[in-house]
Amino acid sequence: MTNASSGVSPWRFYPRKDNNLFGYILPYKPELKIKEYETYRAYYCGVCKSIKDRHGNIPRLSLTYDSAFLALLLSSISDEGIEIKIESCIAHPIKKRKIVKSNKILDYAADINIMLAYLNLLDKWKDEKAAISLTGMASLRRSFKKLTTQYPEKSGTILSRLNDLTALEGEKCPSLDQAAEPFAKLMEEVFTYEPLSRDQAVCQILKWIGYNLGKWIFLIDAFNDLESDIRKNSYNPLIYQYNYTNENIAEFKHRLKEDVEFNLIYTLNQIVKAYQLLNVRYNSGIVENIIYMGMLRKTETVLGCGGNCVEKSL
Amino acid sequence: MLRNPYEVLGIKEGASEEEIKKAYRELVKKYHPDQYRDNPLAKLAEEKLREINEAYDYLMKNKSWSGGNSSSNNSQGYNSQSNDSYFNQVRININNGNIRTAEEMLNHSGKRTAEWFYLKGVVYLRKGWYNEAINHMQTAVNMDPGNYEYRNTLNSMINSNNAYRGQAAGRGYSREQDFCNLCQCLICTDCCCECMGSDFLTCC
Repeated sequence: MTNASSGVSPWRFYPRKDNNLFGYILPYKPELKIKEYETYRAYYCGVCKSIKDRHGNIPRLSLTYDSAFLALLLSSISDEGIEIKIESCIAHPIKKRKIVKSNKILDYAADINIMLAYLNLLDKWKDEKAAISLTGMASLRRSFKKLTTQYPEKSGTILSRLNDLTALEGEKCPSLDQAAEPFAKLMEEVFTYEPLSRDQAVCQILKWIGYNLGKWIFLIDAFNDLESDIRKNSYNPLIYQYNYTNENIAEFKHRLKEDVEFNLIYTLNQIVKAYQLLNVRYNSGIVENIIYMGMLRKTETVLGCGGNCVEKSL
Repeated sequence: MLRNPYEVLGIKEGASEEEIKKAYRELVKKYHPDQYRDNPLAKLAEEKLREINEAYDYLMKNKSWSGGNSSSNNSQGYNSQSNDSYFNQVRININNGNIRTAEEMLNHSGKRTAEWFYLKGVVYLRKGWYNEAINHMQTAVNMDPGNYEYRNTLNSMINSNNAYRGQAAGRGYSREQDFCNLCQCLICTDCCCECMGSDFLTCC
């Protein structure tokens, strides 16, 4: 969650390396129109404002780009029109900005953001016992409690998926797909947004988008953290799937790059295929920018290459 | 028909025959059953295609220059017959979307033939377990290199990634972004310097 905490600018493109599962879903800026950029920012600020109204100022620091994407995607297929207002805020006190006026979808994205941020910190606390996570948790605990009563089923499912994830980590699960399953299912739950998912077809499509998004995030994060996980002797599914045995880390990464790349791109293609089946009303330009190019760009950055990495030799 | 046929085809009302046909051809390609093979959303893609066909037929019928005939889509399933009745049962389950049953049947089977690996790969694909899927598919092809079905599925998995990259490139995605950034950076620096009265790039 820290990637957004230093400012509310959505344009910190490649967030600094920190092991957390959020903040990978970003647009590909060079192909974004100015008006799309403004709309994207209006959504991002809208979710932020919504967090403020529902949970207070400090939890705003946990805002991620992923929640902005969630709000954007759900709004793009919703009947609920959006209203834009112009306002200033703490992060940008001088210049007023366009902000999407809060509505049910933004509120939902805000709530999900808080829930995941809290659980992410909880996970970090268990892993590393870093005092900073404890401070963060303290500020989110009350909101989290409130949300578990507000969304009893959803928070129950999310918690049980996280337990599955912890269990697989404990077992040192050697299958990438199996290890990714809980997080993929968690995101599937996140994207099942009730009023829209009453339509069975939409529900099925949103679930598949969520599932694959979760899978992509999990895998790209696993690859991103591989080096530090090996050093710290922490669990990482790639270590076990590809039998790491004290070889040079760079060579090891190179050995599995092709497979990881295949999986990541295949997953992205599934997201795109599911998206194509939706009847999109608004903002298709931005959503498509993100799923066709932004996430591809991120994939290539994390894999450490400008393109077909596999062809490049060490 | 529920929706406006022009909207379905993504074209303006009053589009010419040429434009309608072009849009139609592109959509058919996009939603062709081959594109959604082994995809849990295959049924929805089929519906979408049906809607597109209806819209196209409607427009063709209601124009004076009618005469175009809609291409019918034949959905492809796992219709290939297997010699093994047990595996046939698995295929039927996969076709009907009973992935869990199919998986259980495969887990109970003691045979580890090429077909077993192939069907297991298909089950994984439908579940979203792509890494297991491609490994199983590869094993099936290695065990029975002459089998067209196995090879075809493996190839279509690999090709789908190229298709994704192709779409990104078609939208203007470029791998040389870093280089562009560098240029932008230099030009910006130059502009800033010029504002301040000096120059960074002497040529401009």
